Amino acid sequence: MTTKFSLVEFSIGRPKVIIAATVVLTLAFLTQFPRIKTDTNPKHMLPETSDVRVWNNEVDKVFALYEDTIVVGVENDAGVLNRETLGRMFRITGEILKLEGVASRDVNSFSTITNVTAEAGTLKVGPLMPGAPQSQAEVEALRRALFGNPLFVNRIVSPDGKTTAIYVPLEKGDNGAEIAEKIRAVLARESGPERYYIAGDPVARDTFGAEMFKLMGIFSPIAGMIMFAAIQFMFRNLALSLAMMAVAMAAIIWSMGLLIGAGFPVHIMSSMAPVFLMAIATDSIHIFNEFYFRYREKRDKLVAIRETMQAVSGPVRYTALATAAGFAVLLFMNIIPVKVFGGLIAFGTVVLRLFSFSLIPAILTFVKEAKVAKAVETESMELDRTARLLRRIGEVGATRPLATTLVGLAFLLVAIAGTSKIHVNNNLVAWFKPSSEIRVADTAMNQALGGTSLGYLVVLASEPEFMKRPEAVRWLEGLQRHLEQLPVVGKTFSVADYVKRINQVLHDDDKKYDAVPDTKEAIGQYLFLFSMSAKPSDLDNVVDSTFQKANLWVQLKTWDAEAMRQVTHAAETYQRAHPLRVAVKPAGIAYFNLVWNDEVLGDMVRGFAIALAVVFIILVFAFRSAKWALIGCMPLLSTILLIYGVVGFAGKDFDMPLSVLSTLSLGMAVDFSIHFISRFRQRLVDAVGDVQEALLWTAARPGKGIVRNAVLFAAAFSVMLFAPLTPYMAVGAFIVAMMMLSALLTILYLPALIMLGRKWLLDEPMPAADTAPARTKGG
Amino acid sequence: MKRWWMLFAVALLPLQALALSGEEAMKKSQAAFLYPGKDFKTRVMMKLINKDGQERVRELTMLRKNAGEPGGDQKYFMYFFQPADVKDMSFMIYKYPAKDDDRWLFIPAINMVKRIAAQDKRSSFVGSDFTYEDVSGRDIEDDNHVIEREEKVGNRDCYVVKSTPKGTDADFGHKFTWVDKANFLPLKEEQYDKRGNRYKLFSADEVANIKGFPTPVKRTMKNLQTGHRTEVTYVKTDYDLGIEDSLFSERYLRQPPRKWVD
Repeated sequence: MTTKFSLVEFSIGRPKVIIAATVVLTLAFLTQFPRIKTDTNPKHMLPETSDVRVWNNEVDKVFALYEDTIVVGVENDAGVLNRETLGRMFRITGEILKLEGVASRDVNSFSTITNVTAEAGTLKVGPLMPGAPQSQAEVEALRRALFGNPLFVNRIVSPDGKTTAIYVPLEKGDNGAEIAEKIRAVLARESGPERYYIAGDPVARDTFGAEMFKLMGIFSPIAGMIMFAAIQFMFRNLALSLAMMAVAMAAIIWSMGLLIGAGFPVHIMSSMAPVFLMAIATDSIHIFNEFYFRYREKRDKLVAIRETMQAVSGPVRYTALATAAGFAVLLFMNIIPVKVFGGLIAFGTVVLRLFSFSLIPAILTFVKEAKVAKAVETESMELDRTARLLRRIGEVGATRPLATTLVGLAFLLVAIAGTSKIHVNNNLVAWFKPSSEIRVADTAMNQALGGTSLGYLVVLASEPEFMKRPEAVRWLEGLQRHLEQLPVVGKTFSVADYVKRINQVLHDDDKKYDAVPDTKEAIGQYLFLFSMSAKPSDLDNVVDSTFQKANLWVQLKTWDAEAMRQVTHAAETYQRAHPLRVAVKPAGIAYFNLVWNDEVLGDMVRGFAIALAVVFIILVFAFRSAKWALIGCMPLLSTILLIYGVVGFAGKDFDMPLSVLSTLSLGMAVDFSIHFISRFRQRLVDAVGDVQEALLWTAARPGKGIVRNAVLFAAAFSVMLFAPLTPYMAVGAFIVAMMMLSALLTILYLPALIMLGRKWLLDEPMPAADTAPARTKGG
Repeated sequence: MKRWWMLFAVALLPLQALALSGEEAMKKSQAAFLYPGKDFKTRVMMKLINKDGQERVRELTMLRKNAGEPGGDQKYFMYFFQPADVKDMSFMIYKYPAKDDDRWLFIPAINMVKRIAAQDKRSSFVGSDFTYEDVSGRDIEDDNHVIEREEKVGNRDCYVVKSTPKGTDADFGHKFTWVDKANFLPLKEEQYDKRGNRYKLFSADEVANIKGFPTPVKRTMKNLQTGHRTEVTYVKTDYDLGIEDSLFSERYLRQPPRKWVD
């Protein structure tokens, strides 16, 4: 307390030193900005050492798979099987093969994919379309080859022949954005009726990165301007509004500078930090709010500053602590970007509070008294309107506590029913707006082809050569048919498809032989024959070199995490019905999304519990009373339940940004309770002793600060409703709703609850805590 | 200074014209590498090694018979011992310059001889890093050959020949071959992809003299982009054994005589 007060005194005495020091430090943090890096790779949500990442890397290695593949879709309403379109595809593929960073040996397109056919008794293994067809007869031959080979349909050609895909794997560590840009340039050189789509993980990541910069570079400043306008409207004093903005900007620069300087890349979560910090900075509104009231009473600026700082220091310190703690809880999460974000905001909050006791008083000394006096006049007029309304709201709660509480309970029961409908799901592609290039491409390709989300089922036997056994290959084939019954599964393929294909082709394309042969030797020899002419990766992708492991590819039509769960469940069911001495392990990006999705849920539950406990403990300290702490938790708990109820009823996916918010909203929304309860108890001791009257005063005066705070907060976040990525929009909507609701619930329900429980709450003697420095009248 | 150089170059011109051309060097190299003797027999031990060191084995007997002069038609016969499940598989190639090969394969499990189209010489030979072209040669006329410089490989003096495909069918952009000046064996070859990056590396690791023919009995082909490599060892290599032409037939493909395949 003494240090705080001496800091305030120092700041008032030497305001220029404080301001100069802040400017210097801010510039120092600003120098780190040019080193900014972004990380939009969803894989980095979990640490490199996490089981799923280690396992996925191993699978990539064993089966020579690529981490990143760009998918180029070509669509022609008149069908792609005509000389012009095929000629273009041939040229385009040729150009793509020449691009630096493309793993050309494994690009799959009409002109490069391996086909096994029989013509006039001769077995042919080679590219499907070695050259652009020159005649209609060649086009028809290609059509027969395409649709005669089940490996191709739904993979490189749609069943209606209107869409085809070129799969472009990238060498490790190459820049997907650059390559995608070069591919776009290649496509731009072609004219014709075809539509082109570029999809795939690397493209999604880079689009994401660009949108993140947009949020930080455009939306954060807009949020800042909106707040500035709102503050200016509330206080009619440019110096005050500038002070508030300066505080927010400095805190943002310090925090982001520290993040960048410490070498952390900016993730989706931390890209929201500027908006969050700006909103959290609005907590100092309570200082300005009180300063105006004090100044009107004392007409002495320095006295007003001192008294203001004394009156609000308790609540402001505890609200800062609660906010910082709410974010610091995120440090215990498993999702890396969430951890970083938590640390970042916790740091920013501490910086903001430091400013509250130094920079703000320092700036206040520069405010011209005449201007304040003028602004304060309008303040009193304002006071009448807003404060009277707030007083009336408080009155409803205070005079009809039981009815108010019961109505609230009814709402809560409905909300609880809604929360049971909450569906945890992360769909990374759905994070983009439906009109975005990536969503359009993904939708078009999922409609036409087997699906853009890829999962693997790795089948592990206990001995080498096992996968050449007829029973093993048949088992794989059966598993594929079983999986394909799921609506989310668009296409599967495995070594069984090659074996069957070769069997049929060797027997003059007789459909009777579209089956797995009966001996291990036949399978071994077929695959050997295949490997004699095919690309090495064709076999490597589906079996390991010792034939102990097989890899079954599952193309999914949705990026919903749940889709892969259905696949693994189906595989378990199949294995129970058809026991074989193998283990089945899921892998691939679809599996990663599933694991990560479950981590989010676990994190959310754990984080929420920890945050609730931490906030409760802070309230106990703030109020020196467990009872008051319990009451203080009520408005925010109700707020969160109500919002979750709406999320449940609305059928909105409960994804990572929302789950994170639920944790940190505790830390932010509890501020209002702290302000309300501490000021109410102060008032009760200081002035009246009449509980109801003290409640109404609190609802009107600090209540106005609360509402101003909530409005500013909501104003800043409302910008995110127009943001380019849906998680940003969800966060914006969530925070706007949470702030408005919790302000309302605080002013309406705290009076009701306090009235209901006043015997229980107030029969103890009031503690002489620092929350109630009973020195001034009217405080 | 400049002028002096030009004079020097003009003075050298006739000498250059008298010297070996790139094309001649590659022709001699092909004769020494792929055509020595009237016929040839060896046991090929092949190790396919991925970048983590995992090995797969191929073991086969390879027979070759030349129809005429170096650069002319050839017949190849291969009989597989390993991997175990392909034992008794056999493979026959009639190779013609400037024309697609004829290939036949015997699949013992279904007792069938199948003709195989040879449309792609660039594809892998039995899953190794060697392509068919690497094994049985590429037509000299398909590329432009220039002697770029002379260089030692180990203690052997070599011509360094740069070969650039005339057409677009090759899987490489250009390649350099280090041709031994004395015996014309290719001791080293670097293949570059169409983007100009080095991607395949051949080396003749051990050369033995068999019946007067210098023969690379150990060789490696490494794919620098995948880290995969194939090591080949020839054992029981012999020349001019009098292999009959009748061996190269469908009948013997099904049941090759013991003496030729062991």
